Amino acid sequence: MSDSELGYGSSFTVDSVKVIAESVGIGNLVDDAAKELADDVSYRLKIIVQDAMKFMQHSKRQKLSITDIDHALKVQNIEPQYGFIQPDTLPFRFASGGGRELHFIEEKDIDLSEILSAPPPKIPLDVSLRAHWLSVDGVQPTVPENPPPLSKEAQKLESVDPITKLSKPANKDSAGKPVCGKAARLKASESVHVKQLATHELSVEQQLYYKEITEACVGSDEGRRAEALQSLACDPGLHEMLPRMCTFISEGVKVNVVQNNLALLIYLMRMVKAMLDNQSLYLEKYLHELIPSVSTCIVARQLCMRPEVDNHWALRDFAARLMAQICKTFNTSTNNLQTRVTRLFSKALQCPSQTNNESGPSMVPSMKESEKTPLASLYGAVQGLAELGAEVVKVFILPRVRWLGERVEGALSGIGGADRLAAGNLKHQLLKVLAPVVRAHRQPPDLPEDYKREYGYLGPSLQQMVSKLRSSPSSGSGGGAVAVVTCTPPLLPSPSPAPSPALPTLVSSSPSPVSIQHTSHTHSKTIESVANRNVVITSSAPQSPAPSTPPPQKFVIVSSQQKNQTQPASSAGHIVMHSSQPTIVRSQNSVVVTSGPAGVAPPQKVVVVGVPPPTHQLHQTHQQHQQHQQHQQHQPTAGGVSQAPVSVVAKPVFARGGATPQPPPELDDLSHLA
Amino acid sequence: MGDKSTPLLAVLQLLRKYNLKGTEDILRKEANLGDVEYENLDLPEVELASILTAHHTESDPYSYEFAYDSLKKFVESSLDIYKYELSTLLYPVFVHMYLILILYDHTEHASKFLDKFGPEQEEYYQEDLNRLCAVKNKDQVKGNELAEIYSSNKFQVQLSRDASTQLKRTQAQVKSTLGGLLGEASRNENRTKVYYGLLKEPDLQILPAPIEDEEEAEETPDKPKKKKAKKDNIFMKKPKSDPNAPPNDRIPLPDLKENDKIEKSKALREAAKRVQLGPECLPSICFYTLMNSGQTAICADICDDSTLLAVGFNNSSIKVWTLTTIRLRGMKSADKLQDIDREAGDVLVRMMEEKDRDTCRTLFGHSGPVYKVAFDPFKTMLLSCSEDSTIRLWSLQCWTCIVVYRGHVWPVWDARWSPHGHYFASGGHDRIARLWATDHHHPLRIFAGHLSDVDCIQFHPNSNYIATGSSDRTVRLWDCLTGSQVRIMTGHKSTPFTLAFSACGRWLASGGGTGEIQVWDLSSGLPTAAIPPANDSPIHALAFSRDGTILASGSLDSTVKLWDFAVISDESLNEENGNGATAQKEDKFLLRSYATKNSPIKSLHFTRRNLLLAVGSYEGSL
Repeated sequence: MSDSELGYGSSFTVDSVKVIAESVGIGNLVDDAAKELADDVSYRLKIIVQDAMKFMQHSKRQKLSITDIDHALKVQNIEPQYGFIQPDTLPFRFASGGGRELHFIEEKDIDLSEILSAPPPKIPLDVSLRAHWLSVDGVQPTVPENPPPLSKEAQKLESVDPITKLSKPANKDSAGKPVCGKAARLKASESVHVKQLATHELSVEQQLYYKEITEACVGSDEGRRAEALQSLACDPGLHEMLPRMCTFISEGVKVNVVQNNLALLIYLMRMVKAMLDNQSLYLEKYLHELIPSVSTCIVARQLCMRPEVDNHWALRDFAARLMAQICKTFNTSTNNLQTRVTRLFSKALQCPSQTNNESGPSMVPSMKESEKTPLASLYGAVQGLAELGAEVVKVFILPRVRWLGERVEGALSGIGGADRLAAGNLKHQLLKVLAPVVRAHRQPPDLPEDYKREYGYLGPSLQQMVSKLRSSPSSGSGGGAVAVVTCTPPLLPSPSPAPSPALPTLVSSSPSPVSIQHTSHTHSKTIESVANRNVVITSSAPQSPAPSTPPPQKFVIVSSQQKNQTQPASSAGHIVMHSSQPTIVRSQNSVVVTSGPAGVAPPQKVVVVGVPPPTHQLHQTHQQHQQHQQHQQHQPTAGGVSQAPVSVVAKPVFARGGATPQPPPELDDLSHLA
Repeated sequence: MGDKSTPLLAVLQLLRKYNLKGTEDILRKEANLGDVEYENLDLPEVELASILTAHHTESDPYSYEFAYDSLKKFVESSLDIYKYELSTLLYPVFVHMYLILILYDHTEHASKFLDKFGPEQEEYYQEDLNRLCAVKNKDQVKGNELAEIYSSNKFQVQLSRDASTQLKRTQAQVKSTLGGLLGEASRNENRTKVYYGLLKEPDLQILPAPIEDEEEAEETPDKPKKKKAKKDNIFMKKPKSDPNAPPNDRIPLPDLKENDKIEKSKALREAAKRVQLGPECLPSICFYTLMNSGQTAICADICDDSTLLAVGFNNSSIKVWTLTTIRLRGMKSADKLQDIDREAGDVLVRMMEEKDRDTCRTLFGHSGPVYKVAFDPFKTMLLSCSEDSTIRLWSLQCWTCIVVYRGHVWPVWDARWSPHGHYFASGGHDRIARLWATDHHHPLRIFAGHLSDVDCIQFHPNSNYIATGSSDRTVRLWDCLTGSQVRIMTGHKSTPFTLAFSACGRWLASGGGTGEIQVWDLSSGLPTAAIPPANDSPIHALAFSRDGTILASGSLDSTVKLWDFAVISDESLNEENGNGATAQKEDKFLLRSYATKNSPIKSLHFTRRNLLLAVGSYEGSL
């Protein structure tokens, strides 16, 4: 009880009493009366709360609930307050104005018809009993039911400030390890305090676990791999094995990059992903091993045996996303992680001369040196930077478009299938990444000549893309939000060559200018076309505005449901929900007139209640992304009407089954990496 | 009427009341009061009194501050040997002055006084001060629980007689007994002899034990000899008479039924297989998590042979789970029961419905949160107490409520069985603890004396005594036979919420609202050890291992802690022998601490073989 700060005699102010009086219709309460009332009310309230605390304590809780107050009132022979059942605390809102400050509880109007039409809420689960071993002969087993032996905070503290470990003696309190045994006896017998060598022992069980996990992760049995990754991502208490795991990954990457073993690299990256996802692990101490491995998988010159056939692009994308996740999680002012990673990538994009903004083909002679950077590496660097956010794209990629365009042009016109493919991918990727940035960066009108002059070879395509983006604010591709990855063989470690049309990027848009139409039309078309082939599609979150978007959401769409998808109305500034099922939309001012290009409209919320079918979700999420983007970039449309961002209150839903005998999302492809 | 003349008028009225004409006239003249005012003299009695007393102590309120300050300085400047004892005077003086200031309407000064000196008071008084500070004028004194207690009771402070004859109490000693709402227990209160020894076990030789023995011998033919030797030991121990044990017939205990005897003998055989615990051999803990219960589960109990678990809920219901593969069966209907041969050996099995295969049964009946559930020692009945001020007795054969015991006026916080069955005790918000027998609908004894809620209650293992813990921060021991209070133990710095007697019956452990654990020696009534809290979470579960070497505590911060009770009790015995230079080291008591996943501990239970069972409800990830 920190009463020293609160003081003893807190009581209601005269002002609040007056406000309350006003609210019940007494206009002019005299000061003296208000003072008397305030004193009395605070006294009585305190008594009631003190009594209520008894009920809270006997209910073995540490949070006062409304029923406690009711019981306290009952004990005092006061009629309880009915109708104040609230499972959680009510937040007080604060308002001030006219020299008066007011705290109040926001009372929302509830539309009963909405409640009636909504699907009934789920029946709460019945209380059930579950037993586990908290301790076996004094040792706490590390099972998921028990908390991790070393909490994430402790791991973080240890890595950030290792000195704390020395000052604090081995705390038997926190770790469930026995003090008896050899170590304890040693400790007891030695009178001289010798600093112990940092031994790193793994118990037999841990060694077995390590062996099993690593074998399963890189083995050929997909089922076992899934289990192993699941274990890595969820199990507590793995921190003792982290050094080994990280070394395993880093060594594995080194070896397999040399051998161009794409499948193994993918598996290793999936291990990294699983470890990053584990809530109980804090990887900062091992970044020096992980980051080189991951960045290798992004920018390596060659990652597979047959660059012209194998889909190493997906690995680069995935690793780039991992890198962004690492940067986001572990970047601090001391390690400057993001800066260093950005520098790494931008070096790969380094063009021979910085004067690429000048027009004219003056740089052609100096290109020889950097021609050495292979296109695949460029692709990786672009992807890596793109994942780090729009600002990074603007600063590091945009100035080099010209040069990159020249490289792409050179490769496309040249011979060599692999180079051509790489150039196509690079071009597509560049356009996808740059279009939203350019759109935010430039004012219309978008003239092809300007673009050509400024961005070189890629100018016209970029212009097309940007103008497309501008013309369809509410639908369309939201900066290439649709990354369609198909479950196609190229990512299987099987040696059979995959048919190249199945490459995901080629499905959605081939590098030809025709398919750059990234509007909603392509979107649905894509789905349809893929759906016809009975493949599971995964759609990822938009990739260019990385920092502002929610973590990637996964949608598994079953083909048979996709046919009747309609287009969201575009450019009208309305939100249109397609509901084949009752979906409740509460929107406040769904149309907002923005004041100007610089003005930021207050975030308006559209809350979608209920769980819409996955198709809707896809739509809504798209809208959300688009509108987010629109907000960020804030481009006034012709009518000056912008749309409010939509936040969809729903979790990703996984729909599976349907008419077609659909296998569950195969684990060997990269569809779940999205 | 001016303010100044009011006292004068009051005096006049007083004079008139006592018919002192002469003085009255003189005063009237002197005060130069007009007739009108004089005629209107009609002050109400109460106001008159208050005016007069105010007049009486019009002595200026500033002097209180000054007086307290100088008392403080005096204490501070006194010799070190007196200092601690004298400093215990400060709190009662402080409270008294505050209440006086309030009574005489110097509210401003009172709150200033509190603000100035309140924070200096001992930490464990702060909670009371927080409650006391709600009182801001004299009308509120009346009706405020705490203020009334303070103004109508004496605060007990023990001071040594003088330096030459008495040993000075050290600071630690003074501190250890302080903390009660009304100071310490006086020495005289704890003079009565307490028979804390265990009762002689009734003779159980008639049992069908030999048959079982053979079976066991067959199961483990390799070491039958050892087992027999052990068993002999157990039977040998019992007949030894404990000088501290009460006579077996001190309070009448129920005769054991045939069925109960079987239970008892089972218990004995189980006890023979008990694991000896110690710092080197810690118990395994099996944790039962109540899933999806949120904040609704309140209390839990596991029956003595660890086969059943009962949980009381916020929504007035009680659930009983079976922890073994034996299903929960109800009794057959009455007409079916008539068909059963009552003389048959397996009549108890036959009268149960075979079809029932439930693993969980729910009991409805209460109309408020259920604060305690308790299995009787023979697991045929269940006791529960609730906010609706009733105690209910449930049959675990019919799965219905058998008796509703009314008597408590307000919520009943705790109810416990006697270890021998038949009797049970309860305590609640009405500050009274009661002793009941299952066959009476009214209490057999009423234990009154606590100044605040009786928060927890526990039977002594020999069923002769009841311990209660209360919000007045005392733990008291009551004699069931006489109904009188035999021990009052002060030293808790917060409300005790749970009590546990050690297996040998000498020690009593209590867990407090801020996470402290106190161990008391019943022979003297003095605190033996105080384990200070690790954090502020209250302890709601305490359990002694069956051999009395380990004390387990479970708190709301979702940890189970094991304490080395052998060390705690040894230490106090050493102290008794005179070499009591033991620095309080909490660390050495603590053996291990186990965290759960955000599941506050509701109950702890040692099985007969010393496996620790813990019950908690999962409250979701943080």
